[in-house]
Amino acid sequence: MLEHFHVPEEDEVRIMPDALRKTVNELFLKIGFSKQDAWQATDVLLLSDTRGVDTHGVSNMMRNYIRMVAEGFVNPTPNWTITRETATTANVDCDRGLGIAVIPQVMKLAIEKARETGIGAITMSNGRHAGMIAYHAMMALPHDMIGYAITAGGQGMSPTFGAEPRLAPNPHAWAVPTDKEPPFVLDISSSSLAMNKLTLLRRMNALTIPGVMAESDGTPIMDEREVPDDAYVLPNGGTRELGSHKGYGLSAAAQIFAGILSDGAFGPNDGGHMSHFVAAYSVEAFADLHRFKSSMDDFLQYLADTPPAPGHDRVYYAGLMEHEESIDRHERGIPLHHEVVEWFDSATDEFDLTPLER
Amino acid sequence: MLEHFHVPEEDKVFIRREDLLKTTTDIFLAMGMPQEDAELAANGLITADIRGCETHGVSNMLRNYIQQFNDGKMNPTPNWKIIRETSAVATIEADSSHGLVMCQRAMDIAIEKAKKVGIGAVTIQNSTHAGMMAYHSMRAMEHDMIGYAITGGGAIMVPTYGAEPRLGSVPHTWAVPAGKMPPFVLDISSSSVAANKIGLLRRTGAKLLPGLLAEDDGTPIMDERDVPEQANLLPWGSTRELGSHKGYGMAVIGQVFTGILSSGIFGLSDPPGNSSQFVAAFSIDAFRDVAEFKDSMDDFLTFLVETPPAKGHDRVVYAGLPEHEETEVRERDGIPLHREVVEWFDAATEDLKLERLGRG
Repeated sequence: MLEHFHVPEEDEVRIMPDALRKTVNELFLKIGFSKQDAWQATDVLLLSDTRGVDTHGVSNMMRNYIRMVAEGFVNPTPNWTITRETATTANVDCDRGLGIAVIPQVMKLAIEKARETGIGAITMSNGRHAGMIAYHAMMALPHDMIGYAITAGGQGMSPTFGAEPRLAPNPHAWAVPTDKEPPFVLDISSSSLAMNKLTLLRRMNALTIPGVMAESDGTPIMDEREVPDDAYVLPNGGTRELGSHKGYGLSAAAQIFAGILSDGAFGPNDGGHMSHFVAAYSVEAFADLHRFKSSMDDFLQYLADTPPAPGHDRVYYAGLMEHEESIDRHERGIPLHHEVVEWFDSATDEFDLTPLER
Repeated sequence: MLEHFHVPEEDKVFIRREDLLKTTTDIFLAMGMPQEDAELAANGLITADIRGCETHGVSNMLRNYIQQFNDGKMNPTPNWKIIRETSAVATIEADSSHGLVMCQRAMDIAIEKAKKVGIGAVTIQNSTHAGMMAYHSMRAMEHDMIGYAITGGGAIMVPTYGAEPRLGSVPHTWAVPAGKMPPFVLDISSSSVAANKIGLLRRTGAKLLPGLLAEDDGTPIMDERDVPEQANLLPWGSTRELGSHKGYGMAVIGQVFTGILSSGIFGLSDPPGNSSQFVAAFSIDAFRDVAEFKDSMDDFLTFLVETPPAKGHDRVVYAGLPEHEETEVRERDGIPLHREVVEWFDAATEDLKLERLGRG
């Protein structure tokens, strides 16, 4: 994540992962999640926060999830069902279950299918927020599989040349196992900016970044100013000349695999109806596993060894920075904005729970 | 494709599809390819030209392919084989097949698997240039399947923050059938511009646009200038702030599914031009009723094209729609080739003792 989006030093409170895990888990139990679902949902949020993906961690998401359950929009005890199935595929109705609790269970099914046939792919309708989708893709890693995950739904991004947001910046995520190197984990929204980052910018009173969002009539905002309330994001690339049709296309492809293939929804999504898609590719089905993993190490080293351009001290690959951040945050704690810690205190107070441990 | 990359009006010669297909097939036959392979390869090039993707049509590619056959890098009569297989996946050793033919054959295998188990996916090693990748993903559509194809290999694009090219521009393509609407066909390179477009700019004498290439030291070129002799592509997104790590990441994952999964290769290949591909077919019926799916696709694509346009634009399109419309125009009016390309055809047919390109 760019420096621009991090919590300013003077506002941060460091919380240890185990302490955060305990409180988040208790909150999920209080709003009616089963023991298993509460553990699962907590695990997804914690992985986001430890990997430095603050946009999808507890700060933005926890209060939303509590509100969605309170409003009856998220079903805390979903009974998800398979509506169609083959040896490699399935279609799942999520029964309004929160994605961070349901998708990992579905991903396990995809992994089982991949173990049998080489591939497993499952589309999901009637879902709710998926959290950091890299989590679902990364579930394939310990099984020596390549994981893939998409979530889609809503409208926060305009198509190229469009003056109205008709798609969301639907993200795609891939995770690829390695031998000794940290795994390759790519999690990219189809826009230049994830929707959650708009929220984050507003909370931090940070300014717009030129070329990544549009005014309400579709005009790209090319200067630095306060984030307007009705701004929406542009497809990655910003303009057609720089490839915004690619971000637009990736978003539409995500919507098709998640929303259309599952008989889910597109366009207006009633405040958060989401569709998802996960897949697992067994490496062993295609190649010798050991050779593959050592080739991955060589490939990723080759990329990280690229001489850096002026002004940069090193070249990364997707997942490397998050891996390093995770080591640091396990040692030094997760930097939360003091406003978030205050929110936790009022929430635990309201739910009669012990306060978040500092 | 942007107007910027089209053949200037005064240099255009219009050639009918059938004429171009015939001469191109003849040339592939003269290279030693069997009839069916020559037709598949020629049809791949002409499909690019008829859809308006001239970067991957006869103009840039055919002379290049002849060179590769002559150099022995492309094998006109390969003995490719499946070296690993399950019910849903396979790995192919391509024996230096022409990628345009190999990917069609591999897609047929993927389609057969998808018919039986829902999905088929094939990774291919030791292949060569595969043309416009959408040609391969589109093959799945007539079977009511979603097609996916990637080609990897080479080192012409810098990683984000990098000063040296270490990846190809690795395009990913998806093709999705619809009902009444033209299909959704997305074919996107992971670089901010396809490498072939730089060649096209040189030939047409157009200026370089900002955000496409990097200086020798890796710094993104963000102004308009003449196309430099030697320059590396930037990942899609151009700079980290605008999302170049997304293009960089798409190239890496593309290379993983093609080169690494099939044979563990990446970077500059030995011999140069060796490339790897990945194709997959997803049976719609394995997920949902096909007729209902196509209705939903029509609704979705209609919803997109009905987006009110932003200032300065008269409409919103979706991937595959302009290419579909261009196909109708070019079927009627012919394919506009640069006169220099037509001259090259005449020289090539004379050289190979073939019938001259028809001007129908």
